[in-house]
Amino acid sequence: MTRTKFAPPMILGLTLFLSTAAAETLIVGLDADPPRLDPALSTAFVDRQVMNQIFDKLVDVDEKLKVVPMVAKSWKVSNAGLTYTFKLNTGIKFADGTVLDAAAVKYSIERNLTLEGSARKGELASVKEVAAPDAATVVINLKVPYGPLLAVLSDRSGMIVSPTAAKKSGADFANEPVGSGPFSFVSRKRQDNITLKANAVYWRGKPKLDGLVYRPFPDGDVRVANLLSGAVQVITPVDPKDVATIQKNAKLDVTTFQGLGFQGVWMNIGKPPFNNKLVRQAFSASLDRDAINKVVFLGTVKPAAGPFPPGTPAYSAAIRVQAADLAGARKKLAQAGKPSIPFTLLTAPGAVNAQLAQLYQAMAAQVGFNVKIETVEFGALLDRADKRNYDAVMLGWSGRPDPDGNIYEFFHTGGSNNQAGYSVPGIDSLLEKARAQTAMSARVATYNVALGKIVDDSPYAFTYFTSNTVGNAKTVTGLRLVPDGILRFYTVDTK
Amino acid sequence: MLIFAARRLLAAIPTLLVVTLLVFALVRLLPGDPARLQLGEEATPQALTELRHKMGLDRPVAVQYVSWLGDLGQLNLGRSLQDNTTVSSLIAQKLPTTFELALLSLLIAVALALPAGILSALRPGGALDRLVTLLALSGISLPTFFLGILLIYIFSVNLAWIPASGYVGLSENAGLNLKLMLLPAVTLGVGSAAVLTRFLRSSLLEVLNQDYVRTARAKGVAGRLVIVKHALRNALIPVVTVLGLQLGGLLGGAVVTEQIFSVPGFGRLLVDAVFTRDLPVIQGMVLTSAALVFLVSFLVDLAYGAIDPRVRFG
Repeated sequence: MTRTKFAPPMILGLTLFLSTAAAETLIVGLDADPPRLDPALSTAFVDRQVMNQIFDKLVDVDEKLKVVPMVAKSWKVSNAGLTYTFKLNTGIKFADGTVLDAAAVKYSIERNLTLEGSARKGELASVKEVAAPDAATVVINLKVPYGPLLAVLSDRSGMIVSPTAAKKSGADFANEPVGSGPFSFVSRKRQDNITLKANAVYWRGKPKLDGLVYRPFPDGDVRVANLLSGAVQVITPVDPKDVATIQKNAKLDVTTFQGLGFQGVWMNIGKPPFNNKLVRQAFSASLDRDAINKVVFLGTVKPAAGPFPPGTPAYSAAIRVQAADLAGARKKLAQAGKPSIPFTLLTAPGAVNAQLAQLYQAMAAQVGFNVKIETVEFGALLDRADKRNYDAVMLGWSGRPDPDGNIYEFFHTGGSNNQAGYSVPGIDSLLEKARAQTAMSARVATYNVALGKIVDDSPYAFTYFTSNTVGNAKTVTGLRLVPDGILRFYTVDTK
Repeated sequence: MLIFAARRLLAAIPTLLVVTLLVFALVRLLPGDPARLQLGEEATPQALTELRHKMGLDRPVAVQYVSWLGDLGQLNLGRSLQDNTTVSSLIAQKLPTTFELALLSLLIAVALALPAGILSALRPGGALDRLVTLLALSGISLPTFFLGILLIYIFSVNLAWIPASGYVGLSENAGLNLKLMLLPAVTLGVGSAAVLTRFLRSSLLEVLNQDYVRTARAKGVAGRLVIVKHALRNALIPVVTVLGLQLGGLLGGAVVTEQIFSVPGFGRLLVDAVFTRDLPVIQGMVLTSAALVFLVSFLVDLAYGAIDPRVRFG
């Protein structure tokens, strides 16, 4: 393929995708425009899709969520879980030509810890200090043992930025990010495209693609139409209703695989009717989680029992999916002395949300709930959830590789995602204990004790585990299906 | 004429001041905290406090307004809370795209409405009139989002004639730009065309019944000349008013169309800014569109003068 030397990258990307021979540059359709490509400031899931190509991380997770080497080739945990010593790979360069060494790792982690507005401070709160005794060694000392640390470093907290570029760009680093990843940033036009090019001197070998162009399509119908027309070669996510359409197309593939997140309904335990545990249990028992999967998701998700999806380290078969029990639910409402209970279910706009809300409404009606659905825009919904100005609200979680990220902030007193105001001292101490344990088997045992009580208290009705869905042209090969849902394009090729 | 124009322009200043106050107050009435929304799943209390401070949201509202107004006085619209770029550069980047889209769709609307309106006014109640009326009513009632997706399915997915989405600047590659803008412009233009057709039809019918048209006909002026020279010119005055209003409406309609076709324009930016509570961007954009709508109605006033000399001298 010939290229015009003077063409701006955006034209290049578009010309490539408009011509049928666009073999080397892949166009990827996302559901939102990634707002901030800065590992410290990023708060949106979709940022991670792009940043994972631009930045290398200290460690990564594989398809089984096992922590694997990346910039760090090995590590050792010592001092009763308080000291993490990382040995780094050498010969890594940032896209600006500067060297990635222990000092750059130290700089990146400290930047996450100190930058004003950094969203990483919470997950790195256990870090006391970072030291770089030599160019290939990084030592992280903790204030308290923190089991999730490695998993946290496999995400934005572990992304290594070029110190030279970060200092030079200051507040604009998100608009001109420089890392050492398989692709480097070329340009972005807000709401139109983000263009990356292959890093020809990538330390693990040059990627097979020449470039990547990310384009945002917030509407699911538009996203799938672009895949069908060939304007983009990969889209994620795919709406459940479009899965069959893609399957029918001989040139396209669609893959659904287990994600890390969960969805469900918070019940406000601070006011009637859900300040009564029996009423909460009755609502949860009225839900037929299998039917939800079949009707709304056409069988593409898994019914949820707790916060840990099957296939993730903390999943336990001991926590069983609650079967719909209408008679039991009616009995509980009778015990509570309230055979008929009206309440308002708050939800955000969207086809899937609307379907879910109607299904919850119909299911709960069978046992005596009179559910009114109120749809408010997502910003307003978050505001009301935070202020606990609701009866029940549909809110879920995108999920984290380490189990702590799926439970601690939800059910610990004062947790930032504890929208029900759930507060049980026994649960708090169990969650703190699990966080300090390093062996996963010990943590799972602790979580199971906590979950037994949480599920019984039912401040949250878990309904289903989210799936990742990717639609792609069959010519695209080498996509790895990591449960975090992030497509790593380093290994991807086009035929 | 010049004094008339100058007076109209000066009258805009207090209006725009009221708009600043309104938009500032309305934006603050939106439920939801920008810092909370930006942090999303990462909203720890410490991060929230820090981000609110960084965004300047911890200052009293009156102080925020006065400081914004002061910046406005220096033609500084502030910076986006999302990515720290200046609001003016964002608007400068997006506005030409939407302007092009609005103009193209207006062209399409006029190109469809002029012949359709004239033809249906010539024989009211005839078969052609009924067909045009049916099409116009369909055009008015078809929601933009539906028409847009329909066009994508027909022309991009099934026929594969035009890419479903994408954008290239006019100056970068004019041919490709027009190709990519065609579907969005048609989507946006069809509704306007329908409205304009109906207006032109009724306006032309009224004019055709006037005495001077009958006089012209009695004098033996050719039928086509009567329509074009005598009737159409007068029938166009209400149509131009509607056209001006439509242009404002097209800016609004562009919000939906740009979303469907992923055109990175003004409307798409505004939707994004509202959903993320990017206050400086919303304020800057609403103010800019208020100024634009004012400008359009000003131009419409001038156009009256050109079409009807009585307005100019009256």
